[in-house]
Amino acid sequence: MSLIARHLEANGIPTVILGCARDIVEQVGVPRFVFSDFPLGHPCGKPFDEETQVGNLDLAFETLEKAFAPRTTVQTPYRWDHDEAWRDRYLQPTD
Amino acid sequence: MTLADNQTDTSRSLYIRYMDRTTDHYLQEGFNNPYQWARFEDVPFAQLEKPLSESRLGVITTAAQFQPGKGDQGPGAPYNNEAKFKRVYTLPSDEVPDLRISHIGYDRNNAQIEDQRVYLPLERLHDFEKEGRFKELGPRLYGAPTLRSQRVTSERNAPEILEMCREDKIDVALLVGV
Repeated sequence: MSLIARHLEANGIPTVILGCARDIVEQVGVPRFVFSDFPLGHPCGKPFDEETQVGNLDLAFETLEKAFAPRTTVQTPYRWDHDEAWRDRYLQPTD
Repeated sequence: MTLADNQTDTSRSLYIRYMDRTTDHYLQEGFNNPYQWARFEDVPFAQLEKPLSESRLGVITTAAQFQPGKGDQGPGAPYNNEAKFKRVYTLPSDEVPDLRISHIGYDRNNAQIEDQRVYLPLERLHDFEKEGRFKELGPRLYGAPTLRSQRVTSERNAPEILEMCREDKIDVALLVGV
């Protein structure tokens, strides 16, 4: 996705990426990135949750309008859970 | 110590290093050829040429069209390589399609993807369009393959999407990566 954003941007189309994998997107290097610190699969918010789903998009539009330099990362203000244990479960066997 | 319901555990709140986690995981599984993510020094940057409220928005997704007969693609399905697609596809943007992410290595231990809007925000975008946040959605939604080959992505798929965006007179693009 980052490679596509770079190609569009290099050809004059401003872009913003919504995503959850901050390290990957920032390593590739993109113009504008809105970082949703939720489990991979949730770039646009929590299920059935208007606040995060609308809020993430709103932030993406704001970032599109206001970023003044490449490699702009904006993190959404939302937290997945009170409990941070979800971070340890990624790629852990579940059985 | 347990946390009260209204307290937040911030002890591990730094974002996950997915590249390290993924590489470690596959090395432990016996795969000695870890994926090398792209890295660039220079990053292109294009300024908006007109206000967003006057701009046509293109939406790019890595989700896949539901493909009957190609295994479990539902929420919670195991990784489904058969459901991968290799070429860019397009769909009308004024309808909400049935798109799935079983072909992607998302966080199956934590994700709750029964609501497609967590990775495909089309209904929300239609609302933003009505409110005038941007002028209009482009006529097509663009589906981008998630391929291991960075060369194919950069040299074939990205130029194809650019060409489609130009045909559709897209001014700005939103890319939703799963």
